[in-house]
Amino acid sequence: MRFLVDPGAGRLARARAPVRAFLAFAALAVLAHLLQRASGGGLSAEEVELHYLGAAPGEGLPRAALWEELHAGAFLYGFLLFMVGALLPTCRLRRAAGQALFAAAVAASLADLGAPFLVTALGGAGAVRVATTLLAPLALLAAVGAILATFGAGAPPRPERARG
Amino acid sequence: MAEPGLPPAQRAPALVFAGFLLLVASSAAVLFSEKLGTGPAAVRDFYLGSEARFTGPRSLAGLLETAVPHLLAIPLAIFAVSHVVAAAGVLGAARLRWLTRLSFALALLGVAAGFGIRWLAPWLAWAKVAAFLGLEALLLAWSALLAAAAWPPPRPASAGRAGRQEPRRQRRRRLHAPLGVDEQRLGPGGGGEREPGRAPLDHHGLR
Repeated sequence: MRFLVDPGAGRLARARAPVRAFLAFAALAVLAHLLQRASGGGLSAEEVELHYLGAAPGEGLPRAALWEELHAGAFLYGFLLFMVGALLPTCRLRRAAGQALFAAAVAASLADLGAPFLVTALGGAGAVRVATTLLAPLALLAAVGAILATFGAGAPPRPERARG
Repeated sequence: MAEPGLPPAQRAPALVFAGFLLLVASSAAVLFSEKLGTGPAAVRDFYLGSEARFTGPRSLAGLLETAVPHLLAIPLAIFAVSHVVAAAGVLGAARLRWLTRLSFALALLGVAAGFGIRWLAPWLAWAKVAAFLGLEALLLAWSALLAAAAWPPPRPASAGRAGRQEPRRQRRRRLHAPLGVDEQRLGPGGGGEREPGRAPLDHHGLR
């Protein structure tokens, strides 16, 4: 864990195998999350609105269920973003590109967490939730892919850039 | 000794992590008040059932459904945040150890108290409420420490030549020394102290 905040060359070299394994599991988790959403109708605006608002007024999802979704999602996204954000500076990616990718992943994750509240507040806008369902995992997967390219068989990570 | 704080490239992830920890803590507070209630009596009713609320006692499966993810997620979050705060050096070792132990203890108490209320003693509802409030406060503290690690305080004007922050005790001793003699510059016997058989040092550190 310490190499995340002080990524010296030795620490990064020793961390390559566990980081690769972690990233593989992170990618699988994000994909499984996306698949779970998709199988529940999360890729259709009408299905999303039916899920949150119900078929008739007053049949919508209770407020506690929305907060439960936010609670679980904030932990999942928060932890993944922290790990990915700490590893991105060690990548061969340009610094600005890495920062933009991280910012996009953070914004998409926050939008995904807030989208259910938007749908219930507006009584519609299911398309927003569909968009965030796709954007948040895609941004995270792009970041994971960029890190995997470095921590995989390619060139070694760059500790001097991680230190800023 | 290095200055406290994270390397510049690692500051944004730490800040984002702090922000998401706050989201977790705030959503936990809403869920606690919505589902369990706002006091020990309501918490006791949640676990033991209440005729007034038309609810039955919680089942083992229902309690485990909440306990299992929390037994993984809370320690993992504390483990990660305590490591980052420790590596950043924004908190002394003793305080860090104390804060980490208290966080783990409250997390365990919070999870165990639910089972205790249901099968051991209803008064453990007080422990459940106390553990929850304590853990919420500690999550806020951890978030603040992460933010402090990401935003190190500006270097004071009295910092040493090598850019090191002057220890508080050393600064106090220097300020209270006769004529403001800098003990660090004078070395042993400075600051008006007399060595046996030798004249005292003046404020230039000379005899």
